[in-house]
Amino acid sequence: MIAVLGLVVGVVAGILVRPEVPAVVEPYLPIAVVAALDAVFGGLRAMLDGIFDDKVFVVSFLSNVVVAALIVFLGDKLGVGAQLSTGVVVVLGIRIFSNAAAIRRHVFRA
Amino acid sequence: MSENEETPENRLRKELPEEVEAPATAAEGAEKSSEPTPGLTGRQRLAKGVWPPRVTRAQLIVAVLLFGLGFGLAVQVASNSDSDSALRGARQEDLVRILDELDDRTQRLEDEKQGLEKQRDELENSSDQAEEARKQTVEKEGQLGILAGTVAAQGPGITMTIDDTKGTVEADMLLDAIQELRAAGAEAIQVNGVRVVAGTYLTDSDKSVSVDGNKINAPYRFKVIGKPEDLEPALNIPGGVVQTLEKEQATVTVERSNKIVVDALRAAKQPDYARSSSQ
Repeated sequence: MIAVLGLVVGVVAGILVRPEVPAVVEPYLPIAVVAALDAVFGGLRAMLDGIFDDKVFVVSFLSNVVVAALIVFLGDKLGVGAQLSTGVVVVLGIRIFSNAAAIRRHVFRA
Repeated sequence: MSENEETPENRLRKELPEEVEAPATAAEGAEKSSEPTPGLTGRQRLAKGVWPPRVTRAQLIVAVLLFGLGFGLAVQVASNSDSDSALRGARQEDLVRILDELDDRTQRLEDEKQGLEKQRDELENSSDQAEEARKQTVEKEGQLGILAGTVAAQGPGITMTIDDTKGTVEADMLLDAIQELRAAGAEAIQVNGVRVVAGTYLTDSDKSVSVDGNKINAPYRFKVIGKPEDLEPALNIPGGVVQTLEKEQATVTVERSNKIVVDALRAAKQPDYARSSSQ
């Protein structure tokens, strides 16, 4: 419940504050958000499986974000930033879908 | 993003151990003890996690991370939707490519513009030249027409009347008069309604004179366009035309006038043999 509240508060704060995204992190923010979403879905699935561990969640969340940003950064330096970020989004999207499928099985038993 | 995450998390870690350590471990222990219970389905676990709200360390940490996620999500969505131009989100290399394309396009349009301007200038020049040539042609036509006798002419000049009651004036005397007038700068001459041109010839025909085959009778009236101050003295010089004619018992009167009209015309004739060598 507190976690859901945190998400809602975060969205509201983001809409209300509307900070200017610094130019340095601008290319990485979308990828980082997608990576964090992947971690959140993974955590939800783990919770439904009954094997949720907050330490694992924190580490996976942060490492997902950092690794995704790193890949995009590296891609930009190599000159294949657009393709690599597409690749990262595709991979994370696949993971989000498989996690969502597992969650669906738990919640709807279908 | 990752820095955003780490700061609140570190703060939490610092403050957490003082008060929540014991309950947290208890909660963890409780959770761990609840984990192996086999009867719980995923749905029940979800319901249990959502309600009733419990302040556990896990819940707080997850809440902080989700706060970060929600924040980033909202910021990204806002920054993506409020910038209506697609360029804002574009990557550097895409921007460079777009800029290159725009430069190319500008260059192409510039070239096209230059070509069209050049064409326009050429057309303007050529129409100017055609106009100029036409004007010159008209002018030349006028000049040549006066020389060839195909157009009427007017201007200052003199009128010379030779009255020949005794019939002693002959063609060569009139020819002398014409020569004298030409030498004095006469530009157009007519005698009794016959235009005098380059090919004019005079012949005697009993008691009178023929000019180009047209018989004319006394009195002979010369209408001459030219500078009157040159023409009149040229006729009146001692031993000149006037004296010679008066010796033959003819009376000669010369009048200056500011407006002489030479309106006797001559048909333009295409030469049979002579051709312009300039073309």
